[in-house]
Amino acid sequence: MAVCIAVIGKDNSPKYIKCTDEANALQFHYKIHTSIDIVEEKLNIGNKTAADVRELFLGMLYSTEEYKIFGYATNTKIKFIIVLQSSNATLRDNEVRMMFRKLHIAYANAVSDPFYIPGDQIQSKIFNSAVMDIMGLLVDEKKILK
Amino acid sequence: MSDLPAELTARPLALIGLFGLDIYNSVHHSIWDAFVNNRRPDGAAVQFKLISSTHEFPTVKPKRNSYEWYIPKGILKRNWMNKYLNEVLAVIVVFYDLDWHDPQWNEKKMECASRVQSLRAALEGRNTKIAIVLIQNELLSPPGTEDLVATERATALCAACELTSKTLYFLPYADHLLGYTFRLEHVLYDLAQSFYHQEYRIVKSHREQLNKTAHQYLFVRHQFKMAFLNELKQDQNTAHKHYQQAYNNLLDIRMVDTNSLEIKTVASFINYKLSRLMFSLKLPKEAIAQFRSHVDRFMTRTGPKELMFEHHTWICTQYSIFAELFNEAIRQGLPAVQTQHPGYYFQMAANHALQRHNACKELCNNVDVYPDPDPLAGEEKLEFYGQRPWRPGKLNAEPADLTREAAAIQALQYKEKTTVNHSMIRIGLLGSAISQFKIYRCPRKRRLLVVEMAEEYFGCKDYGKVLTLLMHMLWEYRSERWPVLLTDVLKSALKAAYLSASIKDYLILALEALGPSTMFSIERKTNIFENIINILQNKPPNSEPNLSEDLKDCAVDKWLAQVNQNESFIFKIDDNMASFIDVKACFTQPKYTVNSTVTIEVFVRNLYHAEVELSKISVTVTGSGYKSEIPIIDSHDRNLIFSAKEVKKYLCQFEAPQLDDSLEIQINKVNLNLGNDKRCSVILQFSASGRETNLLDRMYPEIQQLRGGLFDSVRPLITAKIEQEESNVTIITECKQPALLGEWFSVKILVSSSDKISNVNIFVNLIQDNNSEQLTELSLNMKEKQSSVIFEIDTIEPTSSVEQVVFVRAHNVGDRNFLIKAEYSRCRKKKDSKEITYSFSVVKPFEVSTQFYTILYEPLTKGFIDEPLFIMPHIVSTSPWPIKIEDTSIELGNSLIEERSLSQESILKNIVLEESEAGTDVYCIVPKIGSEQPTSTGVYTIKWRRANDENTIVTSSSVTLTPLWVEDAVIGLETRLPPHGWVRTPLCVSYFIKNHSDYLITLRLTMEANEAFMFAGHKQIDICILPESEKKVEWILLPLIAGFVALPSLSLTVPTDEEYKLNKTRLAEVIERSIPRHVYIMPKSQTIEE
Repeated sequence: MAVCIAVIGKDNSPKYIKCTDEANALQFHYKIHTSIDIVEEKLNIGNKTAADVRELFLGMLYSTEEYKIFGYATNTKIKFIIVLQSSNATLRDNEVRMMFRKLHIAYANAVSDPFYIPGDQIQSKIFNSAVMDIMGLLVDEKKILK
Repeated sequence: MSDLPAELTARPLALIGLFGLDIYNSVHHSIWDAFVNNRRPDGAAVQFKLISSTHEFPTVKPKRNSYEWYIPKGILKRNWMNKYLNEVLAVIVVFYDLDWHDPQWNEKKMECASRVQSLRAALEGRNTKIAIVLIQNELLSPPGTEDLVATERATALCAACELTSKTLYFLPYADHLLGYTFRLEHVLYDLAQSFYHQEYRIVKSHREQLNKTAHQYLFVRHQFKMAFLNELKQDQNTAHKHYQQAYNNLLDIRMVDTNSLEIKTVASFINYKLSRLMFSLKLPKEAIAQFRSHVDRFMTRTGPKELMFEHHTWICTQYSIFAELFNEAIRQGLPAVQTQHPGYYFQMAANHALQRHNACKELCNNVDVYPDPDPLAGEEKLEFYGQRPWRPGKLNAEPADLTREAAAIQALQYKEKTTVNHSMIRIGLLGSAISQFKIYRCPRKRRLLVVEMAEEYFGCKDYGKVLTLLMHMLWEYRSERWPVLLTDVLKSALKAAYLSASIKDYLILALEALGPSTMFSIERKTNIFENIINILQNKPPNSEPNLSEDLKDCAVDKWLAQVNQNESFIFKIDDNMASFIDVKACFTQPKYTVNSTVTIEVFVRNLYHAEVELSKISVTVTGSGYKSEIPIIDSHDRNLIFSAKEVKKYLCQFEAPQLDDSLEIQINKVNLNLGNDKRCSVILQFSASGRETNLLDRMYPEIQQLRGGLFDSVRPLITAKIEQEESNVTIITECKQPALLGEWFSVKILVSSSDKISNVNIFVNLIQDNNSEQLTELSLNMKEKQSSVIFEIDTIEPTSSVEQVVFVRAHNVGDRNFLIKAEYSRCRKKKDSKEITYSFSVVKPFEVSTQFYTILYEPLTKGFIDEPLFIMPHIVSTSPWPIKIEDTSIELGNSLIEERSLSQESILKNIVLEESEAGTDVYCIVPKIGSEQPTSTGVYTIKWRRANDENTIVTSSSVTLTPLWVEDAVIGLETRLPPHGWVRTPLCVSYFIKNHSDYLITLRLTMEANEAFMFAGHKQIDICILPESEKKVEWILLPLIAGFVALPSLSLTVPTDEEYKLNKTRLAEVIERSIPRHVYIMPKSQTIEE
């Protein structure tokens, strides 16, 4: 499953970053930050054709020995980044897409909060639990509760 | 690529020996030069070697007949590649000076043959090809002719040398030496290729004798040799195939600790060759895939644990070698993309360099002695690549000598610890990676690598470099607002600044660390703040956390030395750095007049979580040629102590300066002093607009309004205009628009001022456009006409006004624009001026049209000589103002006279015409001369003035009246008829017919009766009229009906034979206009009747 999920604002500053492994948060922050390079490049090329504009999923940005990093950019230039473990080879492209779609919906709900000021950090319990769900962390909690 | 042997990385070139060239001989030397030094870029892939007569050729190993009992001791022999690159000749060329027609042909032939024979003997066992080149001085026989002697002797020479004629060449030493050597080079290259092919066949043939159990190493060796020979042959595809097989064979070998280094070394060699060939064959994707699988495969084969660093070294080398090959391929034209370029490989290499360093720290820390005797002795002389010097050629099966093994490991660890500068390796690799990521537009990746590089510099205690690198990166991370990353960078930078005891850097970083966009904990921030205060009070700061004791001690000493220098320091920190204080400043107004008080509001916000005290706040204001620092106004309740998150507002006031040329001043900086004013202080310089909010503002300006809060809602206004004091002089004009054409139009100019002004000059100028200037006159007194008017007023007292009337006369209609400019001196002798533009329109006062009527008051289009007519000038007023007509007069044209030239008064005199009212004048005139053209009737002059203004003077306007056609009249006809008649009362009508011509005219008069009259007289009569005479014809009419009754119509006809004298139509026209048609007949009074 995803080990890190991030929402990047249109000014390329982080709006929300969640890692499964908080001890290595710094490392993930750097990874996500560097992946913006590739997102930016893809968005620049993508602008050229009308068909590509509708496709928000940017595919895999890059992979390292340990991780695969996927990107997604909304029409308002909000970027979503999901880091997956490279060892998890079973995850298909479509599943990653689904994760992004869920994340996008959760994000849209979070920013629809009338008290949310665009450009601020996202601090929403519901969004947080949606992210946890995508990362597969929430399921565990439920199990424990049962 | 330092880790690879030179023979591996060298480009394989066919080796060709040149024998018999004496380079002290100038001819031979130039030939040698032509071969070696004047290589063309498209030349064959060959290397020439000069072979002297005393050259010793490498000995040939005895040929093995069977591999059955042969156990190989290693994979690749160290000397083999070098031997084939530089020693084993593919072709040897014997140069010999011999002309076909040499007198000593036979002797020389024999000598040449003996040389070839001795060479052949020396090369016994090798397949080296032998060729002969005869250096000839004589001219070539012309093409087409066959030199029989030459042919015959060539055959003889070949026979003597036991060579085929295909290996005999001759080189004419003449003009085109380079052309000949070039051709010769290609021929020799072909020979060399056949040599390498032959060698390749030989190695290939060994294969059948090998078996998989005992000869695994040989499988690899032979494939490698075959591939290498094909490379020498420049057959890259075949070479690639064999290298691939060699690589696959290598993978089949079971790897254990004893042979791991050898296998990895050979794998690295083969992989290098494979990658290089694949890039060269334009297969970059395959090269990358091969490299990936290569690294993946060996990543886990670490070899012995004690030598872990060797494994990381190997992986690191693999990455860096590949990165360099990739980079080389890009230089040769391979396109790379953002996600696949050498930078990634350099970065991986750097990562493994770090791991190597870590492994070294872990494993070699306790190794302090180099073992004796040296277990690594003879490393250079080993027979095979990648073998251990302490157990060369040992096979896997033999048990290891444990003590030697341990000593050797210790030796390696000692060497790793003492001779390798790990940091520099990593820094070098990171540097290469950084430049690559820069090329491929990955700025953020580049930043990360710079941070890593700084970390490495930190490791080798080069704190200056650490700070330089991190300071740059701070700016970048801050601008993108990544708090976690910013905090990380700040942490490292703070440590470096602390350890290097750099006061300024430490302060800058500490100030930023306290700011809102970092993630430091409250305690940490408090510590940092204390440190700032310590430094400002000349005390060393407390140490940064997580530093080793020895580093700390060293740093404390440095700090004490710094602090005890007792020098005062004042740092200026500009707004390139962030801090925990936010500042905004704004002018209270966008405009100020000179000498008025300018007020600047300064908002200071403390973002630190505790109380902060500043020592001074000032504002620097600049304009062109103006700069001044203005302190804030002190007030007791607004001290400079800020509690947590407090916002305070200060005011700053100064008198607006008089600027030289520009009109703007701006708030350049806001300066905050922190710490003791005199000795240790930091001046924080802020731009007035505030930084953070600026960035957000650009993104979502309207949304920032939502945040509320005093500070956020302040809109910075950092520039203000300085204007000259507004002059209180006013110029007012008064007039009755529009002006009338031709009149002296009066414009009253009123100048008033609230201050006393003197030496007032007022200029009135027409703004010229479309040639109106000649048709417009200005005057002060309606007499002198001027094109511009100047008048002077000595002084104007406050709140009074001075007026002056200026007259304008326009001679055509349209708009007129005037510039009225007042120049004056103010109280302090300051010249000033004010100008206004004024415009008015000019319209015609009236329209004059001309009407013509006959005596009978019928409208008339033509006049006739001697026939009187009325001319009526018709004046229609078009002026919005009432016009009083003072007089009118007419001056008739030459061909006209006035019927009664009585000098009577004009009937229009003293008439006042309002707008669109009309008046008509009338004159009776008689044309005297006819003409073919319309004759001018005259000029009508109207003297008029405005009726509503007593001060105006009379204007005289003249109008040319409409011209009139005047024709000759041969016959004149005049009717005498009483104005009215009575029913049944006779009345007399007489017609006077005049003959104006010089002919006798005969006319027939016919009177046609009608029912309204009875008449007495001739019904029809012919009359003759003498030239220039008149005849009277009379009738008595008795009216029968009352009313406006048609008269009996008279008609005149000309006899047909006299028509040349008088035109019939002309005659009809005369009758038409001269004879009345109707007459009023009154009814007879009944009473009289009775």
